[in-house]
Amino acid sequence: MSVDRRDFLRAGGASLAAALLGACDAEGPQRAARLLEYAQRKNESLERSLFRHTAMDHAKPGALASGDAFPSYFVSDAVPALDAAASAAWRLEVGGMVSRPLALSLDDLMRLERRTQRVNHYCVEGWTAVAEFTGVPLRELARLAGADPKAGYVDFQSFDDDYHESWDAESAMHPQTLVVYAKDGAALTTAYGAPARVHSPVKLGYKNTKYLTKVVFLPERNGGYWSDRGYEWYAGL
Amino acid sequence: MTSTPRHHWIVRVTHWVNAVALTLMVASGLRIFNAHPDFARPGNTFCCYPFAGKAVPGALTFGGWLAGARHWHFAMMWVLVVNGLVYLAFVYLHGEWRDLVPRRGDIRDSWEMLRFYLFARSDHPRQGKHNALQKGAYFVMPWVGALSVASGIAIWKPVQLAPLTGLLGGYQWARYWHFVSMSAIVALAVGHVFMVFAVDPYALRSMITGGYSERLSPEQRNARPFINLLPPRKGGAKAKRT
Repeated sequence: MSVDRRDFLRAGGASLAAALLGACDAEGPQRAARLLEYAQRKNESLERSLFRHTAMDHAKPGALASGDAFPSYFVSDAVPALDAAASAAWRLEVGGMVSRPLALSLDDLMRLERRTQRVNHYCVEGWTAVAEFTGVPLRELARLAGADPKAGYVDFQSFDDDYHESWDAESAMHPQTLVVYAKDGAALTTAYGAPARVHSPVKLGYKNTKYLTKVVFLPERNGGYWSDRGYEWYAGL
Repeated sequence: MTSTPRHHWIVRVTHWVNAVALTLMVASGLRIFNAHPDFARPGNTFCCYPFAGKAVPGALTFGGWLAGARHWHFAMMWVLVVNGLVYLAFVYLHGEWRDLVPRRGDIRDSWEMLRFYLFARSDHPRQGKHNALQKGAYFVMPWVGALSVASGIAIWKPVQLAPLTGLLGGYQWARYWHFVSMSAIVALAVGHVFMVFAVDPYALRSMITGGYSERLSPEQRNARPFINLLPPRKGGAKAKRT
């Protein structure tokens, strides 16, 4: 069969169109997965080289706090709530590569250096919410626990089923990364992660573990709930 | 058929790379947009988007799910940007920019092209490589592209590059400008493809092999959309005026 240029172009165009139509709403060819992972690694190293502790987030002056319109999520079957006894027994453990492991009650946390900031919460879905968060800067907890400077990663674990997310230490030590116990001037409610949660505008929402139980300093990254389900691990802003 | 060289191979390659990268960027971007098809903060309203809450049809999207679309978007953006910079550098260094920058008289010439397309004038205005409307579209494209890249960076790094995000009016507005510039690019691209097939399908050859037959130019054929599409008959100096 002879194929002239016209036929070739026609057949080529048809197969290209078919490929495009077939690709609609699809994840794309499997072969591309490695290329996408490569791009993700390169983006991460670029973003980490760009990262500065002096770059801060501030909510727009005129923006009202989102209040209860601030969407909230959890992964357990029901809202992870502690009863009064469990709340009293709750401790935030700071461990891993530290010289003085800590176990802090909520009262202990509230006696430590605090920071109040009116910032944006950036969700991976594309929305943002404004809230005023009060809590202990993570760098202060790291200092009190004597975290090893060689610990390049921090894992934030919770009692919301197996939810956790690990971070690069640079982002965890950003002055706006807090262990939060109050939102908009009131104690954190169950929907927003009571008794304490991580919050920082330098990471997408899903990196900010709610219902916090443990802060673990690690030599290696430890994935995370959404990071292990295909969302990017770094998720920096 | 006699043909003269029209598009340098760098222009042809960057054109088709751009076509593929742009399609993937728009489709994956729409899939990302569908996770929150609104520009308002929860509990607020946004002035300037009438379709809030309505998702884009899945058939126009790519990536399968939010994370998948984000991986494609953040990989393909480099192809789009590097390819765009190669094109701009070439056009600047090789002098092709002279065919594209606006000149005195372009507004009048655009008006005359519009009159011709609307049958208010019978003969095709004189033109160079491109007609005035076409030239305007090709000149605007890189600027809209630059806005889409700038607004894209602003919503990618709204904290580390906060001054850029602030310049665009904050995160919500930067996201809006990203959507608006995408819409403008799609409108220009759809108009461009329509005009190629309806007025100058012979230009397709010039974007593949590089050669263009001046005898078949829209000016020689006196071509409007779907009118005088076929080559002029042999012997006839110019197509019959309509």
